[in-house]
Amino acid sequence: MTKINTVNDLENLRNKILEDREKFRATLVICGGTGCQASRAGGVIDEIKKELDNHGLNESVCLRTTGCHGFCEQGPLIVIEPDNLFYCHVTPDDVHEIITKTILNNEIVERLLYTDPVSGNLIKTESEIPFYKAQDRQILTQNRQVDPCSIEDYIAIGGYTALGKTLFEMSPESVVQEIMDSELRGRGGGGFPTGLKWAECREAPGDEKYVICNADEGDPGAYMDRCVLEGNPHLVLEGMLIGAWAIGASQGHIYVRNEYPLAVDNIRVAVQQARESGLLGDGILGSKFSFDVEISRGGGAFVCGESTALMASLEGKVGEPKPKDVHTVIDGLWHKPTTLNNVETWANVPAIMKNGSSAFAAKGSKGSKGTKILALTGCIKNTGLVEVEMGTPIKNIVFDIGGGANNEKPVKAVQTGGPSGGCLPVEKFDLPVDFDELYDAGSMIGSGGMVVMDEETCMVDVAKYFLTFLQDESCGKCVPCRIGVSRMLEIVTDITEGRGKLEQINLLEELGDTLSHTALCGLGKTAANPVLSTLRYFREEYEIHIEEKKCPAGVCQELITYAIDPESCTFCGLCKKACPHNAITGEKKQAHEIDLGLCIKCGICRSECKFESIIIN
Amino acid sequence: MTQQVTLNIDGALIRAAKGTSVLDAALDFGICIPHLCHVSNIEDIGSCRLCIVENIVNGRSKITTSCTLLVQDDMMILSNTDKIRRLRHNIAELLVSEAPNSRAMQDIALRCGVEETRYSFRNNDCILCGRCVRACTGEFGVKPLGFVGRGKDRRVEAPFNLRSKLCNECGRCIDLCPMVMPACDGPMETGKERLCGNCESKLSDTDLTLGYCVGCYFGEGIQCQRSPINV
Repeated sequence: MTKINTVNDLENLRNKILEDREKFRATLVICGGTGCQASRAGGVIDEIKKELDNHGLNESVCLRTTGCHGFCEQGPLIVIEPDNLFYCHVTPDDVHEIITKTILNNEIVERLLYTDPVSGNLIKTESEIPFYKAQDRQILTQNRQVDPCSIEDYIAIGGYTALGKTLFEMSPESVVQEIMDSELRGRGGGGFPTGLKWAECREAPGDEKYVICNADEGDPGAYMDRCVLEGNPHLVLEGMLIGAWAIGASQGHIYVRNEYPLAVDNIRVAVQQARESGLLGDGILGSKFSFDVEISRGGGAFVCGESTALMASLEGKVGEPKPKDVHTVIDGLWHKPTTLNNVETWANVPAIMKNGSSAFAAKGSKGSKGTKILALTGCIKNTGLVEVEMGTPIKNIVFDIGGGANNEKPVKAVQTGGPSGGCLPVEKFDLPVDFDELYDAGSMIGSGGMVVMDEETCMVDVAKYFLTFLQDESCGKCVPCRIGVSRMLEIVTDITEGRGKLEQINLLEELGDTLSHTALCGLGKTAANPVLSTLRYFREEYEIHIEEKKCPAGVCQELITYAIDPESCTFCGLCKKACPHNAITGEKKQAHEIDLGLCIKCGICRSECKFESIIIN
Repeated sequence: MTQQVTLNIDGALIRAAKGTSVLDAALDFGICIPHLCHVSNIEDIGSCRLCIVENIVNGRSKITTSCTLLVQDDMMILSNTDKIRRLRHNIAELLVSEAPNSRAMQDIALRCGVEETRYSFRNNDCILCGRCVRACTGEFGVKPLGFVGRGKDRRVEAPFNLRSKLCNECGRCIDLCPMVMPACDGPMETGKERLCGNCESKLSDTDLTLGYCVGCYFGEGIQCQRSPINV
């Protein structure tokens, strides 16, 4: 790989890459993100390579395997440039048709097009699809433009020019000022102003400073950081380079979960490429700035996403948080000033430097600027990664982008922010995605997970799920989190199993308040949020569980019984066959019955029944 | 000479050497802030959270543990407000219901105003304060004691749960363990578990956090600085 020694070299290289690519008359962009790989994109990629070979198209058609495009629901996805034709649910068998029809004859394969679920019309290009149309994809859009393992792709779209501009046209102070002016806030959950963090770290005394990229994303249902790191690792590296130069650091660390194998591989390749091109190392782009990055893999502890625990883990100690009476920007990794930001925050930096802080701050709401990537999951039609302008109301995300509930049951609530966040009822869907507004409503943006729930979700059960998660993932260092969460789980379990008492609701609230005031780290302080927010908005559900010993959503096994509705039952015997405990009796063409003594309430009969005759009491 | 700072704890102006913790400064002065995991001269980790205080910064109250908070000039600390007492009560209640069979735990609970708990008793033998782990030096400075596991599985163990050759048998871990004091008679009878009333009688004048010392002997186990043994 050619060494890039000056900004001119970078510009020349970019022009050369673009020139080389003029020979391609089309580019097949296939999503190789984790979601699409799970839908067997690997086989499609192999088939495309074979077909291109067979037709001798290697010199005129470019194949680009990229990171996640976001629309995981429809994967594997193929976009054909320059027309941006969009094919979804592509299988290896479709490849021959795509090559012969679309590439060679400019015909469209209609059965692979996306069908608008509302109008039923076929949609040809990505930008016309409602899921993409309602978004503002500042970061994610680059995922489609680059092969994560190709630094040329990143340079071709103007990569590392922001670094060149920063190194030669701006002073470190003005970079910090620019970030401050952009009002960028940390995307990892806390929402701390990034500029302020950088300024404090820059001013902190010490000859050695560090920057860290936190890629230890562990919230259930959230995968924003994963897809940015998998899909565009150079963007994160460039952000870290700019940050390190502004702060005065010469060493960076990327702490990435080992459960993200593709992210680990891609960032390794990216670091290697950047080193070979001279974008990491001594005298970057001919300046006096030296910087290198080390990649560390996390061992799978949720708590290691907390900054002090992450630093302890980097130091080789047990990953447990420390009290933050002195901030990590002054006393961080190896007791040196350290700036830690998460993947998405770093990914926002190059664009701010390139387009200026005002362009960034022009987007968003009063206290929250820019865009935010959210992982939209749950009972919803279009699951996937979405990027919206800060301040977009939740209802737009759930109904316009997400397409609403995925079955006839109406949407009941949305859980935002993972285990630290809370549940917001449908009446609160007018709330904007904004750090402060969601916090005031008892939830938070957190890292950006968004789980949509419908009427069949029991909110007490949701609280129980998160408490179980937190009990397993609490490091156990401090009393409120270790014992408090396990006691809360004990109480909530009592409630879901019919042993609850009304005064226990107050105890839950009191415990939650104790946790939020006294726990050691940020994760412990917010551990009670799932309980507190469900209590705030769905208190009557708790009360019904306790007073009437019933679960309105029909989820809590101890409080429900299954029965067969004799009127709609067609006596087909499917349920009888499916029941693992032989609890269903009745001959063919005769009324069936469930023996409650034998029934273990697994619900298999209900999912087997084609006539919805199994009812929950 | 060590640099001295002056801070305000509960209205008292206290001079303390720079580098000491607020808890140490308060205890030296005679303000008793309940604590469990803190041991003099050993690194503090702030795990039991009993020694929480309100630190008033720019008019805003911030709750933090006094053992990990270092003294600074013009600090304003409140250790005995209604809010702190309420939170401390809740933490002590959590602690004592984990190990009601410990006299030290019962004593701490009563000092923090817990007379009965709203949770079922769990009767654990270890409260995970980490005193032993931090006090342990072992041979060559390598500790044969450490925490194993996470969250509810956290426990103190020697490597592979075997007596390690690194243990130099100093016995300090046992000296410091708050759980080795024999439990009171009676309260843990199966089916009739309750908090001990015997300890309470010693503390009849002070149902909340101590404003002054009654000189009880139970402070010995939790290293109360004003316990007659220590003074």
